[in-house]
Amino acid sequence: MAKLTFKIWILIIVLILSLISIFGLPPSFLEKGILITGVEQNSSAFESGLRQGQIITAIDGKSVETIDDFSKIILEKYPSDREIKTIIQTKDSEIILFSKQAPEITISGIPKTNLKAGLDISGGARALVQAQDKKLSTEEVNDLVAITNNRFNVYGISDIKVSPVSDLAGNHFMLIEVAGATPKDLKQLIEQQGKFEAKIGNETVFIGGERDISSVCRNDATCATITACSDANGGSICNFQFSIYLSEIAAEKHAEVTKKLGINESVPEYLSKPLDLYVDDKLVDTLLISKDLQGRVTTQISISGSGSGETQEEAYSITEENMNKLQTILITGSLPYKLEIVKLDTISPILGEQFIKIILLAGLGALLAVAIVIFVRYRKFKESMALLLTSFSEIIIILGVASMIDWNLDLLSIAGILAVVGTGIDQQIIILDESKQRVSLSVKEKLKRAFTIILSAYFTALVSLLPLLWVGAGLLKGFAITTIIGITIGILITRPAFTDIIKNIEE
Amino acid sequence: MAEENLQVKNWHDKYYKILLIIPAILIIFSFVYMINFYNQHGDFIKKDISLTGGTSVTLYDKLDADKLKQELQNKLEEVNIREVYDLISKEQKALIIETKSGADETKKVLEDYLKYELTDENSSFEFTGSSLSQGFYKQLLIAILVAFVAMGIVIFLIFRTFVPSIAVIASAFADILMTLVVVNILGIEISTAGLVAFLMLIGYSVDTDILLTSRVLKREGESLNKKIFDSFKTGMTMTLTALFSVLVALFIVKSFSSVLTQIFTILSIGLVFDIFNTWVTNVSIIKWYIKSKHG
Repeated sequence: MAKLTFKIWILIIVLILSLISIFGLPPSFLEKGILITGVEQNSSAFESGLRQGQIITAIDGKSVETIDDFSKIILEKYPSDREIKTIIQTKDSEIILFSKQAPEITISGIPKTNLKAGLDISGGARALVQAQDKKLSTEEVNDLVAITNNRFNVYGISDIKVSPVSDLAGNHFMLIEVAGATPKDLKQLIEQQGKFEAKIGNETVFIGGERDISSVCRNDATCATITACSDANGGSICNFQFSIYLSEIAAEKHAEVTKKLGINESVPEYLSKPLDLYVDDKLVDTLLISKDLQGRVTTQISISGSGSGETQEEAYSITEENMNKLQTILITGSLPYKLEIVKLDTISPILGEQFIKIILLAGLGALLAVAIVIFVRYRKFKESMALLLTSFSEIIIILGVASMIDWNLDLLSIAGILAVVGTGIDQQIIILDESKQRVSLSVKEKLKRAFTIILSAYFTALVSLLPLLWVGAGLLKGFAITTIIGITIGILITRPAFTDIIKNIEE
Repeated sequence: MAEENLQVKNWHDKYYKILLIIPAILIIFSFVYMINFYNQHGDFIKKDISLTGGTSVTLYDKLDADKLKQELQNKLEEVNIREVYDLISKEQKALIIETKSGADETKKVLEDYLKYELTDENSSFEFTGSSLSQGFYKQLLIAILVAFVAMGIVIFLIFRTFVPSIAVIASAFADILMTLVVVNILGIEISTAGLVAFLMLIGYSVDTDILLTSRVLKREGESLNKKIFDSFKTGMTMTLTALFSVLVALFIVKSFSSVLTQIFTILSIGLVFDIFNTWVTNVSIIKWYIKSKHG
């Protein structure tokens, strides 16, 4: 009977840990419920305690196993004309929600594994952003990332990753990645500088951002609403209005500027000059200032604007969007420079699942091809099986590490895994053949020689991969890292174990 | 079997130097071809839009590629359209439209023609700005160069003898050069992924050369021909498994993913040349070296 050596034990233990890392413990494919993938900030759902990552198992005592179950229950209850109570049972807690609207969350089924497919497989959007006509420094990119992150949060797009990246030539970029469906106005949202200015005549009274604006009313119908819609010129126009609170400095500036104004001649209730609101140097609205406000330090100001569309419904939703955008830039302030999207990929998620199937099929086919060559060459069941099973466990360990470090497997990573398994099999062939040499050396000596060759191959592969870590704004990092992890696992875990397995078989 | 081997070995002993003429001719041809190619195109490869800048649209619709191309040709820059078919049902699944125009412009022109809105439910867009993609290209070339040099240094550190190390490096270089020539002859437009495939080729192609050289240099008590023949058996198994698995994978992903298709195509071509360069080029050089050393 073959003895399980230390090295083989390591392989077995790492293999088990990898399976746990991929499938979770208890395995997530056994779990029932639906996963919350996003919760709108400051919404009633958020305030009641619903968070991204929670698993909903029941609502009002009715068990929820699929997205359909969830939709059915929610559609029956909402929208409602009064606040109603909903008891949401999650895996670890019970959340009670009082609301007129359906909970502001996005959901999905529980993923069967912890593996994450890259955007180019499962769909999503990716943007690489630079400043226009300006080279960004590391600090500037970090600031940009912070502001952009905040903007997305305020705007209500969760499930988004913003990170600074740089490349070999010393360029710094901001990388934005959104998994799944692409938000409709992503491009605009990224590109807009978001410079908000409120001017009276030529004088700037206040700008967006927390220095001048201490708070902005949003998601609260008492101080932020769409006021009225009307039909005009074959289309429809709606107006919105919300209040903001100015900081002390901005309020004093407002008082100082208005003090100098006269009374409006045609409408004597107002001052001679209006408050003009500009976004990115474009006038978006003009507000008349009531004469009572002249020279007074007022902190509360009402901001308004409008939106138009072909139908009233469209106008309403565009107005809502405009209001949200304006609120977002008022809260987050402007970026100190114009941005340019140098790369933008929006990949449709509809073929994602089919894609994964094709890739699995390709992997399986490749493994089968390897099996055929190996069986034809060696004609020995034990050795061939040992070789194939070791390679298979190598794939599982790579995937285990990938899910442990939360790595997104993109197409290049998949090619990397294939390359790793390919070289891995090559090295096992070397081990197998060395062990069969008829030279009068002990099996141990022979295998040691095999290992010298393998180590050489490892180092040449490693050094040829390293440059990729700094190339192409990090977009090729996936390939480089997967491959480096893969060949390192090979040299540290699977190859030593395979040597011992062969030793067992040969002796 | 043994006798047959003997005959092969005698034959090889006689002609191994002459055999070197074949790789020499191929390398000279490759150089001439590449110089010619460079003069014609101003570059070593034909770049696709991921390296020149532009937009690639995958449109999930059944349309005639030629008709669409005629329609778009005057409105967009350098339009190229491919149809994508399902592997099993052979049914058209999508169109891939590539153009040097920007994403917004392309989207607008397409929407005008298609009369429906393009969303992420019916299409995918990949846009790369031209300065970024040129930067990518330059950096990738540097990466390949650095990788190659680093590989060369490691080879020298391992073998510590000049001729055998050079033989390994020369074979790897010949692999890449010949693959590049075939890729150019086939008219393949290389993407970022394609360049990564060339980088992978460096690692793949030196494996068998390392095997051969270590066995020949470091193993004792066997005849040179025996060492070479044993390495050949091992090395061929290695390369053939790699080649078959890549070919099977290529067949399955073909038409589904242009990224993987290109990687696998380049790897397959490279692996075929690897067989040639290891077992003709490298073997002949190292045999010559050992024989001249031992008189």
